[in-house]
Amino acid sequence: MRFVTNLLLAIGVALAFGFGLSWFAVTDGRYFGVTQIGPWSTWRDAGSPQPDPYSRAYIARTAALQLGASEGLQFTATVDSEGRALTRSCRYRIDGTTPTATFWTLTAVDATGALITRPDGPKAFNSTRIARANDGSMELYVSRTLAPRNWLEITGEGSFVLALNLYDTSSLGGVGSTALTLPSIIREACA
Amino acid sequence: MIRTVLWVFGGLVLGGIIHIAVILALPVLTGGSVWAQVVEMGALNRPIVLPAAEAGQANPLRLDPELAYAVCQIDLRQGPGTVSGTLPQAFWSIAVYSHSGIALYSTTNRDGIGQNLELGIFNQVQTRLLAEQKLNVAEGLLIVESRDDDVYVVVRLHPEQQVMRARYEAQLRALRCGNIPA
Repeated sequence: MRFVTNLLLAIGVALAFGFGLSWFAVTDGRYFGVTQIGPWSTWRDAGSPQPDPYSRAYIARTAALQLGASEGLQFTATVDSEGRALTRSCRYRIDGTTPTATFWTLTAVDATGALITRPDGPKAFNSTRIARANDGSMELYVSRTLAPRNWLEITGEGSFVLALNLYDTSSLGGVGSTALTLPSIIREACA
Repeated sequence: MIRTVLWVFGGLVLGGIIHIAVILALPVLTGGSVWAQVVEMGALNRPIVLPAAEAGQANPLRLDPELAYAVCQIDLRQGPGTVSGTLPQAFWSIAVYSHSGIALYSTTNRDGIGQNLELGIFNQVQTRLLAEQKLNVAEGLLIVESRDDDVYVVVRLHPEQQVMRARYEAQLRALRCGNIPA
């Protein structure tokens, strides 16, 4: 009886550990293939011609068109700079500088990748079209409620994901990549 | 008690093996899902412009709504592949993907290509023939080696203003894509 109990325990541990760790590895990805910078994370090897096994599994699981290594890099954020999950009932200010790139876009999507912006409004921020202050700084707002300057209006309820796509960038591509800085995501007010 | 700890330890080791098996098996089991979508689009030897991502609508390929996309499927068993044409001066990029969705090669027009795209895709046998000068290809062709015979190519184009999208998509549609004639 004791043997059977121990066997069932070992099988339970094996299944929970094996599948749980695999799920964590291809979703969150920290300690596996993901590089984390503040609230932003990226699978830096996803566009490589020879990705590591974890990035391969991530590519297979997401079934998305990954940016090739020379084309750019996508960062995503599911939390703000204080680690709280992004929720559509709050207003967020995206503040700071972006790494050098020919241009970048910022989109707000749900967990399935569908855009959550207002259907007849702007679909995304584009660095070539945003309004900047005289010193070149920028403030972007993502919210359901009216916001000043650059505003991306979102709709619906629940959590969401911000995706920052840097096109034609050398970020994380070589020397000095550890000093890469990305904008903060600051929660301002919640309804 | 010690025996139970040993069983748990054995379970963890077995879990590690399951984890490695899952990570290695996942690309084999689900790696062709983008490929299946490309095949369904009927993109064999012709560029298909993908509909722009719209708010509230499914976006399985996670397309950036700011870009215009064209996709083309090429079977290298029928001969070396090629993608050619003229694109606008705006930013554009091209990536060649394997059957399992891995970006085998990518570049942008910022790499000195300019507006004229002339890309040749060769499998390993064709690359060897090319090196032995047993294949005639146009001069100036950008040569990409693929380890896979089933590839698809994605061209991304950035209309700086959305009013330019229709014109840019027409240029994507006008790309030539397929096998290099023997």
